Amino acid sequence: MSEVTYYFLGFAGIYVLMGWALYLPYRVGQLNFLIVACMAITAYFGGFAAREWGWPFIVILIIGILFGATIAFIFSLAIGDAPCFTVVIVGLTSVFIVKTVIENWRTLGGTIGFFHIPGPNNMLAIIYSLLFLVGLLVFRIDHSRWGRAASVVFIDRDVAVTLGVDIKKLGMFFQIISCSIAGMAGILDAFLVKSLSPEFFTFSMIGYLMCILFVGGYTTMWGVILSAFFLQGIPLMFPSNIASWRLVIYGALLVIIILLRPEGLITRKMLWSIKIKSPRYITN
Amino acid sequence: MKCKTLRFFSILILVIGIVFASAFHIFGQEVKVSEWNIPFLNTITGPIASIGEYMSWSANRAAEEINAAGGVRGVPIKIEIIDTGVDKDKAMEEMAKLVDSALVVMGPVPEACIMAAVPIAVKAGLFSMVSSTSYEYAVEYFPWTLSWYPITEEKLPPITAAWAKLHPDMKTVVQFVENWAAWPPMAEAHAVGLESAGVKMLSQVDVPTDAIMFEPLVLKALAQKPDGIMLTCNSEKAAKIIIELVKKGWTDKSKILVFSSADDTALYTTGGDSLEGISIYNYIDLNLDDPRWQAFREAYKKDHNGIEPASLSTNYYDSVYMIKEAIENTGVTGDPAKLAEERIKIRDYCRNVKGFKGIQLTWDMTDGVPTGKGTFLFEIENGEKVFKAMAK
Repeated sequence: MSEVTYYFLGFAGIYVLMGWALYLPYRVGQLNFLIVACMAITAYFGGFAAREWGWPFIVILIIGILFGATIAFIFSLAIGDAPCFTVVIVGLTSVFIVKTVIENWRTLGGTIGFFHIPGPNNMLAIIYSLLFLVGLLVFRIDHSRWGRAASVVFIDRDVAVTLGVDIKKLGMFFQIISCSIAGMAGILDAFLVKSLSPEFFTFSMIGYLMCILFVGGYTTMWGVILSAFFLQGIPLMFPSNIASWRLVIYGALLVIIILLRPEGLITRKMLWSIKIKSPRYITN
Repeated sequence: MKCKTLRFFSILILVIGIVFASAFHIFGQEVKVSEWNIPFLNTITGPIASIGEYMSWSANRAAEEINAAGGVRGVPIKIEIIDTGVDKDKAMEEMAKLVDSALVVMGPVPEACIMAAVPIAVKAGLFSMVSSTSYEYAVEYFPWTLSWYPITEEKLPPITAAWAKLHPDMKTVVQFVENWAAWPPMAEAHAVGLESAGVKMLSQVDVPTDAIMFEPLVLKALAQKPDGIMLTCNSEKAAKIIIELVKKGWTDKSKILVFSSADDTALYTTGGDSLEGISIYNYIDLNLDDPRWQAFREAYKKDHNGIEPASLSTNYYDSVYMIKEAIENTGVTGDPAKLAEERIKIRDYCRNVKGFKGIQLTWDMTDGVPTGKGTFLFEIENGEKVFKAMAK
C-alpha cells in the first residue's frame, strides 16, 4: 500500500470516529465540541506516556478512552440536559482552555510541540479494527431503547419527558460515549502522526467535523462514513490547484446540502426506502 | 617490426580503453532527467498565504534565473508548488505522494505541517529543506533537514544587545509576546541579549493569538513605565500595538523594536505612517550594494505593489541555488535507480556546504547549522529601512 493511501485511510478512519463522536450527542440535539478537547488531551497524554514513560500502546489506548469518559462524565453532570447552545459554548470554551494549557505547558513542548512519538508502525489495522468495534457499538445504541428515546428527544423534549425519558441521563450517556470515542481518536491520531502541536486542535477541526456530520447526514451513522472519506479524499481526487480550494469546497458543499437536503446525503428515510425495496421486505 | 606492431596495438588498446573508460564515466554521470522537478510544500492558501506567496515567488525567480543561465547540468529546473494550507493532514498526504520519487523537497512551511509531514520524509530517507522555520523545529529531524537559522539562543541575544547599546538611556524594556510556535524561546533570547547589555526586563505582556483590542495590553505595558518596547508577535498585531502606543503618547519610536517574524507585508499595510522611526531586526539588508540583490529587490517590488522584500523572502531563493550547487557538485543524475544514494548526496552537500553564496550573505553550514549568518538592525526613516547595526 502506498504511503498516500495509508495516510488517507488513516485520517479518514479517525475522522469517522470523530464524526460518530459528534453524531451521538446530536441524536439528543447537542453539538458537543468537548470531543475536540478530549481528543487533544488524550493525544498529548498518549504521546507523553509513549515517549517519556515507554508505556505500551494498548495500555495508553485504554487509559485514553477512560480519560475521555471521565472528562465527559464530569462535564455532563452540568450539561447532560443542557440546550444545544449551552453545550456548544462549553465545548468551544473547553477547546480554548485545553489549547492554552498545552501552549503554556513546557513539559508537553508548549507552543513548539511534541516530537518523536514511538509506537506501532501499522496503525491502519488498529484504526480499522477499532472503527469496526465502535461502529457496532454506535449501531447497537442507535437501534436500542436509548436510540429510540434520543429520536424523541431530538423532535420534542416535552413529549420525551411525558414518555418517561430521563433527558439528563440520556444526554450524559451520549456525551460519555462520544468523548470516549474522541479519547480513542486522540490516541490514534498521536500515534499516526507521531508529532503533536497545539495547532492540530483548532477551531478549524470543529468546522471540519461539522461538515462531515451535516454533509453526510445527521440522522444515521452511515452519513459520517460517506462524508469523512469523500471530504478527506478531495485533495487526492482533484489536481493540486483545485484541491487548494478545498475549504471553499467544504463550505459550498455544506451550504448546498443544507439548502437542498437539510438532513444530509444519507437520511433515515433513504435507508428505509432501500430496506422496503429490498427482496427481504417484499411479501405476497 | 613485430615489436613496433605490438607497441602500436598496445597503445591502440590503451587509447581505446581510456576512451571507453572515460565514456563510461561520463555516461555513468549523465543526467537522466529532462527536467529537475523540485517539489515545494508551501502554504499558498489560508491564514499565512501572504508568506507562502512570496516564498513561492522567490523560489520561482531562482528557477527562472537558473534556467536562463542554462539550467542545472544543462537541464532546466522546475519548482512544483504544492499547496498544503496550514492543514497537517494535507501536508502528510502530499509528502506521502513524494517519498517514492522526489530527489529533494523544499518545505513544508508552517510549523504544524513540518511536524506532521517531515517524519514521513525522514522514514523514507528524503531530505527536506525546511528553510523557513527556526532551529528548534529543524533539529528534531536532523540529519534529514537543515536549519536555515543558527541556534536561537546564540543568534538573537547579540542583535537585541546591539539595539540596547544604540540607546544607552534605555534602562527598562517591556516585551509583548505572542505564544505561538517558536516565538516564546525567541522572546527569551531577546531578553537574554537585553539583560546582557544592562537592560532590566519588566513584566512581559502576553498577546493573545486572537487579540482584537490592543489598548488594554498597551496600558498594561505603559503602567510599568518602560523606556523601550520589544514586540514578539505577528506583523498585524505588532502594527496595531505600535499604533496604540503612539495614541497613548509614545514619542521615541526608535525604542520600539519589532522582531524578524513580524517583518511582513501586514506590518507595513496596517502600520502605515505610525511605523516611522521604529527599530526592526531581520536577516536581509535591503540596501546591500550588490547587483544581484538589487535586481531581486526591484523585481520583488514590481510584483508586490512596491512593497520591499520581507524577512523570509530570500530563504527559498537561496535554497533553490543550494540544491542546484548540490546537484552540480555531487554529480547527481536524477536516475530513479540511484534515488536513495543521490538523496543522501544532496543532503550531505547542503548540510555541510562551505562558502555558499546566498543572495545576501556568504555562509558555511556545519552539520546542518549555519555559521557566519548575520542579523541586521534597522530604523525606519521616511518609509525606508536604514541600517543601524549588524550582529553575528
